[in-house]
Amino acid sequence: MAHDVEVLSRGARVARALLNGYALAIYLFLFAPIVLLVLFSFNANRYGTFPITGWTLEWYRAAISDYQVHGAVTTTLKVAAQVTVISAIVGTAAAFPLVRSKLPFREGIRIVLILPIMIPGLLIGVSLLVLFVSTFHWQLSEETAVIGQSVYTTPFVILLVAARLQGFDNALERAAADLGANTFQRLRRVVLPLIFPAILAGALFAFTLSLDEFIITYFLIGANNTLPIYIYTQIKFGITPEVNAVASMLLAGSLTLLAVAFALPQLVRRARRAIMRVTTA
Amino acid sequence: MSSGTGTVTAARAPGDRLPRLASALGSYVGFVPAVLLLGLCFLVPLGIVVCYSFWDTVDYAVVHHWTLGNYRYFFSVGAYVSTMWATLWVAVLATVIAIGLAFPFAYWLSRYVPRRVRTPLLVLVIVPFWASYLLRVYSWLTILGEKGVVNRFLHWAGLTSHPLGVFLYDRPAVILVLVYLYFPFGALTLYSSIERFDWNQLRAAMDLGASPLQAILRILVPQIRPGIITAVIFVFIPILGEYLTPQIVGGTGGVMIGNLIVNFFQEAEYTRGAAISLLVAGFIVVLLFVFRKSLSTKEAYGA
Repeated sequence: MAHDVEVLSRGARVARALLNGYALAIYLFLFAPIVLLVLFSFNANRYGTFPITGWTLEWYRAAISDYQVHGAVTTTLKVAAQVTVISAIVGTAAAFPLVRSKLPFREGIRIVLILPIMIPGLLIGVSLLVLFVSTFHWQLSEETAVIGQSVYTTPFVILLVAARLQGFDNALERAAADLGANTFQRLRRVVLPLIFPAILAGALFAFTLSLDEFIITYFLIGANNTLPIYIYTQIKFGITPEVNAVASMLLAGSLTLLAVAFALPQLVRRARRAIMRVTTA
Repeated sequence: MSSGTGTVTAARAPGDRLPRLASALGSYVGFVPAVLLLGLCFLVPLGIVVCYSFWDTVDYAVVHHWTLGNYRYFFSVGAYVSTMWATLWVAVLATVIAIGLAFPFAYWLSRYVPRRVRTPLLVLVIVPFWASYLLRVYSWLTILGEKGVVNRFLHWAGLTSHPLGVFLYDRPAVILVLVYLYFPFGALTLYSSIERFDWNQLRAAMDLGASPLQAILRILVPQIRPGIITAVIFVFIPILGEYLTPQIVGGTGGVMIGNLIVNFFQEAEYTRGAAISLLVAGFIVVLLFVFRKSLSTKEAYGA
């Protein structure tokens, strides 16, 4: 780019220096709260704040041996696993006709499919509460929370897979058809392997969103606790370093998963290329 | 796209001869699970909420008797109406501040940062956005609370003798945390639109005698207006439905309409809760409809 090497006037240099400082302040603003939270989870001070009186893993030990945390982790993972499977299947299936079939009202259908992302989760939660409790008189459970979360996570999978299908080279499928592959074979052997990274990324994405989801779950899970609900009920009684430790673990978990989800398409491509090289050599 | 599909149909392999109607229907089969999930568990419940908001509650039971009573009730209680205005006000302020902070940032990122480090720096902005929403709100308690970082610092600096409660549990704390929560969205959307701007135009304007501020306001801003609108909408809409932020850092002074909705549903006043929910949902749908052109998914989810 030209402006990367441009000779700047004095005024422009001052502006750049000011904006550099401003950007630094923004990054501090964005990261300070999270960094402090993690910092305090290792702080021996039992009020979960400054001053730092020493470093300890005590709070992690306490959190890991807490049976309430155990229950919450188990529920969170069970819910997230179900949400992941449902949204991966439903989202992938819906992405095909969205991109490929001749749809009347394509824009309208697309908007309805992504509306659950645009509408505040609160409204998804209360409307399903009305359906389950007041209309059907169902008991709230893990399953009702799974349904609610899936409504919210599926559109993300649809978007990711649809984007991948849009960039898909149709000549590949035509070639397979010319070579005698039927619809199912084309799907199984040509299309699915090529869009698989997007499906996997979408699934991981859904899993992460489910781990962190609060408001829909809060309305629909009934007597059970997921990790965010557990943290929420705990902070009503004040901040403790133990909650900081649980929070830090949840943070680490979801950030790791996200990093994998973002890096995944490239990793899969690289692995495939490596396999190709080995097999053709 | 459609021409490609047509060719596939023409080149259909033997043993794959479905009647035309069946194949047309077959191409929609993928929608079936989505219609079941999003239709039955999203659109139908929303429809029921619409009905509930016009139905009556008698002795804690919902009666299918059409009425505007729930809406009339909401607008008859001063505290509810003022909460509604306060919610709008908070959303407007937080949006203006978040976008106002995001603009110089996006400008800096696309103008002064070398291309190869831009993506990592952009990802750094998004990282907190994808970290748990609850934890990002919660982390402010450790900063603003009575034993929080700010109070500790003031005490250590000798400025206060006892902890101040003023940082938490009121509207300013809510606005601060909302700005914190939604800044990344604003920055991301603005950046993706400033990035496409041709900086030579700005230089040309300044060569012709415009001050840098004039050049930015009259050349850059008009060209990225769609991006600004998208950013505003994407920050403003979720704030309207906020529950957790006012609940955790807002106290009694920071109540927003989301908290009202939750209270009504927790007290099983479904029809009244439905009416308020519908007011919020209706307002959002109107906004989405008015600004539908600036909401292409590419802009919003380009990350």
